[in-house]
Amino acid sequence: MNTLSGLSMLAIPQLHLPIGDDSHTQSESAYSSAGSRWQAALNQACLDGLLPWIQTERDQQAQAWTKAAHRASIWDVVNGSAIDLNGTRLVLIPTTAIDFAELRVPQEWIDLPSWAGDYYLSVYVNLDDREIQVLGYTTHHNLKQQGQYDPIDRTYSYDGDDLIPDLNVLWLSRQLCPTEVLRSKVNPSPQMLLKQAESLLIRLGDPNQLRPRLAVPFAFWGALMEHSGWRQQLYRRRVGLPEQWSMSKWFQTEISQFGQQLGWEMMTVEPILVLARGDERSSTNKILLRQLTISQQPYELRISPTGDNLWRFELHSTTNTKIPYGVKLRLLTEDLLPFANNEDIALTETDRLYLDVHVSPGDGLVWETEPKCDEFDREILRF
Amino acid sequence: MRSRQSILEIFSTFLSFEDDLATRWIVDGRLRRSIQGCLDDNIDREPSPRFWALYWYQIWQTESLSNAASPRVKISANHLAAYLQEVCYWSAQKLAADLFKKELVSDFFQIAIIKFDRIVSGFNVDRGIELKSYASLAFTNAIKDTLRQRQEVEICTDWALLHKVSQKRLGESLQQLGFNREQIAMYILAWQCFKIIYAPTSGQGLRKLDKPDLATLTEISRLFGREYIGAINCDGETISQWLSSCGAAVRSFLYPTIVSASQPKSASDSSEFLDDFELTVQSSLLTQTIEREDAIDRDNQRSQLQQILLRALIKSNVEAQKILQMYYGQNLTQQEIAIQLATKQYTVSRRLTNARQALLTALCNWSQTTLHKSLDTSVMSDMSLTIEEWLKVHYSHSDPLAEH
Repeated sequence: MNTLSGLSMLAIPQLHLPIGDDSHTQSESAYSSAGSRWQAALNQACLDGLLPWIQTERDQQAQAWTKAAHRASIWDVVNGSAIDLNGTRLVLIPTTAIDFAELRVPQEWIDLPSWAGDYYLSVYVNLDDREIQVLGYTTHHNLKQQGQYDPIDRTYSYDGDDLIPDLNVLWLSRQLCPTEVLRSKVNPSPQMLLKQAESLLIRLGDPNQLRPRLAVPFAFWGALMEHSGWRQQLYRRRVGLPEQWSMSKWFQTEISQFGQQLGWEMMTVEPILVLARGDERSSTNKILLRQLTISQQPYELRISPTGDNLWRFELHSTTNTKIPYGVKLRLLTEDLLPFANNEDIALTETDRLYLDVHVSPGDGLVWETEPKCDEFDREILRF
Repeated sequence: MRSRQSILEIFSTFLSFEDDLATRWIVDGRLRRSIQGCLDDNIDREPSPRFWALYWYQIWQTESLSNAASPRVKISANHLAAYLQEVCYWSAQKLAADLFKKELVSDFFQIAIIKFDRIVSGFNVDRGIELKSYASLAFTNAIKDTLRQRQEVEICTDWALLHKVSQKRLGESLQQLGFNREQIAMYILAWQCFKIIYAPTSGQGLRKLDKPDLATLTEISRLFGREYIGAINCDGETISQWLSSCGAAVRSFLYPTIVSASQPKSASDSSEFLDDFELTVQSSLLTQTIEREDAIDRDNQRSQLQQILLRALIKSNVEAQKILQMYYGQNLTQQEIAIQLATKQYTVSRRLTNARQALLTALCNWSQTTLHKSLDTSVMSDMSLTIEEWLKVHYSHSDPLAEH
């Protein structure tokens, strides 16, 4: 027998939170259907209502998972958002159902390792009255054990009466019973090759395909979702945006709006510096850069063309401290495969790490660091 | 309504309504024989209603673990349902009076008694509150929750309602109207397609959502045609009909037309008792119940617990106490409190949450340091309910059941 059954027969005063003005419904992002746009508005309302409360009342370190610019690519195809609290993840599932009968969690939030959370909150969103209401929560473990998996829409459904109604229990249990099992095991998504991904992107990127998450086996879909670069491409195709990551465009005209939102900037340098390297053919004097934080230290990632199809990636420390031993800068192919000389590691404390790569037109490259930088999402740079 | 006096009556009769008035108690013959058998058996104490409630609850609890459909589970559930008739009535009566709608007592009573199974499952002797007091709170809550949903149903269009129902409830609503599994699956798919294609645009509210135009309905039907496994002809008009049926099903499920309750209702059908079921008293269980009742009575942990909560309550600030008093004592909603205090509902909500957090923290700390109880989410969630029950009892002196 389920020991938590019937818990919420007594109405615990639920947490009502305001969602402010309607700025979030005027979302600038495009969506592939009316339902997706609505879903995005509900998810945004969830974050707008809950995140400030958590930050002021319970945990200052709380932050939304994935940068704002990345969220549209999730909400266009999957319902749900996440808030990270220093290693613990809350998954928020908004609902407009007034019956509070179930918490219905899309499989992505349960079975994809990079998406899965510790706690799952059922949040009633009432845009008419501009408020949200936290209905209760459960854990990944409980959802896996007691949730009912529905293969038709690939969701885990959990009885609304079995949710823990008091959100205070969540904060207190983190504090008083830190060793409690919250998660069940999930299997890693299988490696997907570029060719497969490309054909899936073409097929699922068609906006007439209105239920893309159900159109292919979950393993394939999951691999596509976990790679935020591919997820971005899927989103771009579905809503009809041009390629956002074309390096030649960025250097010739300007960085795409999307790139700017994620923090990429162009810096102009004195031509003399370029010439000093003895590269006469390089006519550019621009360096693409973006700030990163790795283990609380600020860094700068710089990308610059150094010749015909030759590019340099550099990681600099932006303070006086050097890059500590063991930090790595790594490049991977679009489908995350390594290649020769794709990695530089700080063998001693050093000022910079760098990699020179030769690319063919149309190639995609993914960068990463080790340890991972904060708010890391894979990006596919297109050359 | 005449209150029942004898044990025999309390555990074997059900309230009957005529013209929305509770008029008489109707005897269930099998239950009467069952409780008579118990009373004939000699036990060396004056058995109180509370004692027998505990006895039947124990049977219900242990037996439903092994075989939820056994006659013993049914008969014990029915005894408890009979026992809780008055409690249910008073909850219904009080809410109806608060709303100045006395004619709704019988409706409220029905809403609440339907939740009986769920309510008994949620009861826990160890939380230190009596079944009667717990049930009173739970019945009240069940009625309030139904009223909340009805209120929303009243101001929503059918099309908005389709966005305001969960998949689970939609399935149940359709099932109640007699649709079979394949039909339900088909309707649910149509409903999913509707939700993808049609939703309020930004700035537009959900409640007043209009019927989609024909082009949109056709688009929904095309999506349905692509996704449905099986051959079916479906155009915009068909989809419109299906969705209307769904909307109507949800509306009638969440807001059923009230049928006057002239029949006595018990939680489960008592006519299914097996005839060879022996109505004998289990003496071992009787002894257990006696021990249990004694244990509850001399339980000083409970009084300690109350001390802890009381101390924590006194330590909390004046504002928090005021809000707790208004919420639990005067039964005001968060919104009503906000109006009285000339503040926002969210401020009330926050303070209420924080005030309860302080009590929960105090209780957890006490239980960890003094009782050396190991805590986990399930234990703490139970404590949170203990606090909820305690607060309600602590602040409600006007409760007609408090005298018992």
